[in-house]
Amino acid sequence: MARISCSHVCKSYGPLEVVKDFNLEVEDHEFVVFLGPSGCGKSTILRMVAGLEDISGGTISIDGKVVNDLLPRERGVAMVFQNYALYPHMSVFANIAFGLKRMRVPREDIERRVHEVSAILGLEALLERKPAQLSGGQQQRVAIARAMIKTPAVFLFDEPLSNLDAKLRSHMRVEIARLHKRLKTTTIYVTHDQLEAMTLADRIVVLRAGLIEQVGTPAEIYGFPRSRFVADFVGSPRMNLLDVTVGEAPDNKWALSTGHETFLVERGRFDLHRGMRAVLGIRPANLKSTSPDIRLNGLSGIVDLVEYLGDGVLLTIALPGEPARQVTALVPAEAAPVAGTVVGFGTPPEAIHVFDAETGKSCRSAYLGAAEVGQSMRDAS
Amino acid sequence: MKSKTSLPAVFISPSMIVLAVLAFVPTVFAINIAFQDKQLSSEDSHYVGLANFIALFSDRRFLNSIVVSLTWEVMTVVATMCIAVLLGILMFEAASARMRNILSVVFLIPVLMPRVSAAFVWKFAFHPLFGLAVYPYKAITGQPLDLLANPSTALATVAFVDVWQWSLFFSVIILHLLESLPHEPLEAAELDHARTWERYAYVALPMLKIPLISLTFVKMIESLRSFDLIYVMTRGGPGIKTETLDMYAFSQGFIESGNISYASSMAVLMMVATTIAFTALWKRVHA
Repeated sequence: MARISCSHVCKSYGPLEVVKDFNLEVEDHEFVVFLGPSGCGKSTILRMVAGLEDISGGTISIDGKVVNDLLPRERGVAMVFQNYALYPHMSVFANIAFGLKRMRVPREDIERRVHEVSAILGLEALLERKPAQLSGGQQQRVAIARAMIKTPAVFLFDEPLSNLDAKLRSHMRVEIARLHKRLKTTTIYVTHDQLEAMTLADRIVVLRAGLIEQVGTPAEIYGFPRSRFVADFVGSPRMNLLDVTVGEAPDNKWALSTGHETFLVERGRFDLHRGMRAVLGIRPANLKSTSPDIRLNGLSGIVDLVEYLGDGVLLTIALPGEPARQVTALVPAEAAPVAGTVVGFGTPPEAIHVFDAETGKSCRSAYLGAAEVGQSMRDAS
Repeated sequence: MKSKTSLPAVFISPSMIVLAVLAFVPTVFAINIAFQDKQLSSEDSHYVGLANFIALFSDRRFLNSIVVSLTWEVMTVVATMCIAVLLGILMFEAASARMRNILSVVFLIPVLMPRVSAAFVWKFAFHPLFGLAVYPYKAITGQPLDLLANPSTALATVAFVDVWQWSLFFSVIILHLLESLPHEPLEAAELDHARTWERYAYVALPMLKIPLISLTFVKMIESLRSFDLIYVMTRGGPGIKTETLDMYAFSQGFIESGNISYASSMAVLMMVATTIAFTALWKRVHA
């Protein structure tokens, strides 16, 4: 078991800086997910922790020991790769036992531990097979078994489920969650899939272009995105973003106007000023059907596309005005209008997010933001 | 898919016929005269049955040439493959991409040289008085060193030239084979506590098993055809220490006695033996 501490870590390939001043503390037993689009540097950071990439600057320490100059095998880490990286010429047994053999573990111990681990992952019947004779899910389980058997201090997962089909992916996700609950090994998990991040993580680190955008629990990341990028990247379906101009309104409120719609929010919640250009965000699930002639805290438009999702229906609504704007709303399947209908949707003012149009940062007041986060964490627990 | 026209056959048959003539006519001719007592000096000949073959097995020079050939084969193939693998790995581990390219070009030069020229270059390098390769020995001890005239070093010295030509070339191939491997299993091995040599011995080289076996076969076939190299460097000497089967057959047929039939019987025997040996090996490897 171990803490991982990254301080001022950077990585550059020649003049190209892929990770810039990365600072993060991962607590013992914690499951941290690095989430971000491709090329954001998340895998590079993971590989630096593993020792597969040199660290250009800063230090990484595992369990209080700086590991910058240690070989991968000396760091006490185990890694699961996206494409499994099994040894193709070895049987499943030999694949799982490889690390222990290299560590000169006695043969009987190896046999016992391989059987224990394969029992946990349901691989007992496959031990004699070669990787090519296994399905993708089975191969990934072998890769996890191979990582697990060394009882590492740290588990590293590099997009382990990306090569699996959707059904298998959710199955393996549950297995990984169960495994972490059982082993409690400190884990860093890299993915671009926000669903994996939300379901598995104790904390999510959202990365963009080599920089941390936000670190927080899944509830914080979803409920209080600190930037427009996080708001846009996390959440499915995606958050609706509308360009607005800030104006003053009576009763100590800000009026956020798109030109066609106006939203009123409490002044205390956001640090705004008159005439400021901002971006207003509303999650599709927070749009509630109402009368089409709604004027405040709502919008109306024509249903353009109706996507049936099972329980719910995702409506794409074309809003009036130029240039063309659209929003999506998630409504119960039985209440779904047909395409072409004029509809109105309202939103509770608490569900409104506001971002600075220039910096992309959230305009939520710092003090209140913290209080709300605290509240949401109490709600969650 | 079954072709309905005979067009493919029309195109293929002329070249197949030419190939068949080129391959089979000399073979059949050689087999034919192996059973006769044909001499280079006279026109007439008679069938003598297996007399040539029987005579071979009591010919000590023939038995010696079998031993030399086998030693040559094992020595050159094993040395070439070992050096090529080690050099390939060394380049893969230690050389930058730019360095690899430069080394690849440099390492290709020996094999591009016609073997006769390579043989002459090295024969001169090993010359006891003027040779560059033996100069340090001469400078230190004051004695000339004639590796090619020494019965205990001659074969190894010729083998050195063959290995020099081929192992460098093969090391370039092995470098590129290593580059073509997926990185992840090697990285996984690194995390699995494998030391550098273990990564290659247990992961990289086993993953390259099939191409490495193919390379070994290529070298085995190539080593069988090293007549020109040996001919230029030692002519089978000193004595018969480097006289391989083909050297001996050649000298029986054309140099010493002009005994064409006797030489042909050796060639036929060699052909049969290599065909059987290679078929058996191939089957074993691909079983």
